[in-house]
Amino acid sequence: MDKRWLSFELHKRKILTLILSLAFIMSLFSVEWNSELIHSKGLETAKQIATAFFTPDLSGDILILAMESSWTTLSYAAAGMSLAIIIAFFYGILASGIVVSEGNIKRYIRPFFRGQLGFMRAIHELVWAWLFVASIGLSPYAAIFALAIPYGGILGRIFADMLEDISPEPIKALEAAGASKLQALWYGYLPLVRANITSYAMYRFECAVRSSAIMSFVGIGGLGYQIQLSLDDLHYDEVWTFVYFLIALVIVIDLWSNQLRKRLVQ
Amino acid sequence: MKKYKLSFVTASVYALLLLMVGSWVSIFIVEKASLTLLFTEKNLFYASKFFKGLLGIDEESPAYLHAENWKNALNLTFETLMMSVMATGFATIAAFLTVVPAARNVADGSLTLVKKWHGWLSFGMVRGGYIFSRAVPELVWAMIIIFIFKPGVLPGAIALALHNFGILGKLFAEVIEDLDSRPVRNLSSSGAGRFQLFLYGVLPAALPRFLTYILYRWEVIMRTTIVVGFVGAGGLGQQFKLSMSFFHYTDITLLLFFYLALVFAADYISEKARIFIK
Repeated sequence: MDKRWLSFELHKRKILTLILSLAFIMSLFSVEWNSELIHSKGLETAKQIATAFFTPDLSGDILILAMESSWTTLSYAAAGMSLAIIIAFFYGILASGIVVSEGNIKRYIRPFFRGQLGFMRAIHELVWAWLFVASIGLSPYAAIFALAIPYGGILGRIFADMLEDISPEPIKALEAAGASKLQALWYGYLPLVRANITSYAMYRFECAVRSSAIMSFVGIGGLGYQIQLSLDDLHYDEVWTFVYFLIALVIVIDLWSNQLRKRLVQ
Repeated sequence: MKKYKLSFVTASVYALLLLMVGSWVSIFIVEKASLTLLFTEKNLFYASKFFKGLLGIDEESPAYLHAENWKNALNLTFETLMMSVMATGFATIAAFLTVVPAARNVADGSLTLVKKWHGWLSFGMVRGGYIFSRAVPELVWAMIIIFIFKPGVLPGAIALALHNFGILGKLFAEVIEDLDSRPVRNLSSSGAGRFQLFLYGVLPAALPRFLTYILYRWEVIMRTTIVVGFVGAGGLGQQFKLSMSFFHYTDITLLLFFYLALVFAADYISEKARIFIK
């Protein structure tokens, strides 16, 4: 037999595939598979929901309501993202440790700020929303802060990674010419990462719209709130109208960000 | 006079800035949300009460002091883990079954050298399905699905899978589009069928990136399990919501602790697994 066939390196992918498949099969055993899984009228409800899918409620009131809540959703997302960008800018620079010189301070400052960013993004935005609603009440700020924190965490981490990954030559050239740390940051680091970070932030904005729609689940207005209200009234046709508005919103931003990213990152 | 041409990028940046300013204005003026009202004494009192509750100060028997609660939370953590794995599995299987017609180079026949009349039709349909399923958030899927299934792990897994099916499908299709087409054409010209093409031509070349994406989505799914739990889809999220409704704040601290541990563990495992296959 060919000796190479026995090498471990060759089979790593197969081993991982096997482990993942086994994990999936094992997870299937955690559910008892019988007819008890579905509500007694579950299939009928499914049929009603499916029919409503093709006959969404397009009456004037609902459309106006849908447009208003689309704007609410979009404006919370935009406001949350603007705060997230501010958080990401300062945390990103500190977490990449580029403004301090090599040595003891850098060794502590990086893990300190990276840890904070990790904590911000580890908790889902809806959990943040819940914590905020419980402490400051039902206000748009609960939604905005809840979006800003996890998105700031993600953007900040990516920003820090980008700042660390850029090629050192332009920075060395600036420093050799006598630039201070701050000048190196402004004229060296930031212009180099500008296109990439803008494109990533745009992609995150699309996710933020989706998240902002579900913020309403904790009682903050927007498309998700309307979806939930209609579901509670068993008006499946209205549900689909609002869902279509949400999809349209997401697709428009998706197309926009795709066009923008294509031009930014060549 | 110099002609000033507005490029798409600059126009977009201006539009985004305008959108952000407009959003803040609408929040301030239309909804009359005031920042100063946030920091009233009443809110301060509620906030401090809430955080004291979370920490279990002034509580007679905080939940995290009882071994029973720990055991219960551990069971829920295991359930949540199973839910995330199941969701990833469902999404991956569904994406694998649909991904071949969704690749642009399969639709126009440049990958397989076989051009079928329905190439673009099935491309459009599958891609449309991907867009639809990923544009709807997991929570909305869960809200709808909970009307059909009884609360438990399965509806949560299905809701998560529906959302991630669209994302994984799109990512997989892009991987196939970036493939080197020569080995596949070679197979195709020697008479391999569709299934054989996928198994021997596409999969070996694309598997590492497929695995990377699956692991990456698993991380995200793990973070979202708690959210679908809120509407009754089982796991830590369901208990989280129940404890919140009963004002059992110390329970929440315990659940949040397990949730964070789970998320960090998933991040760690998936990072190590990705390095392992590199």
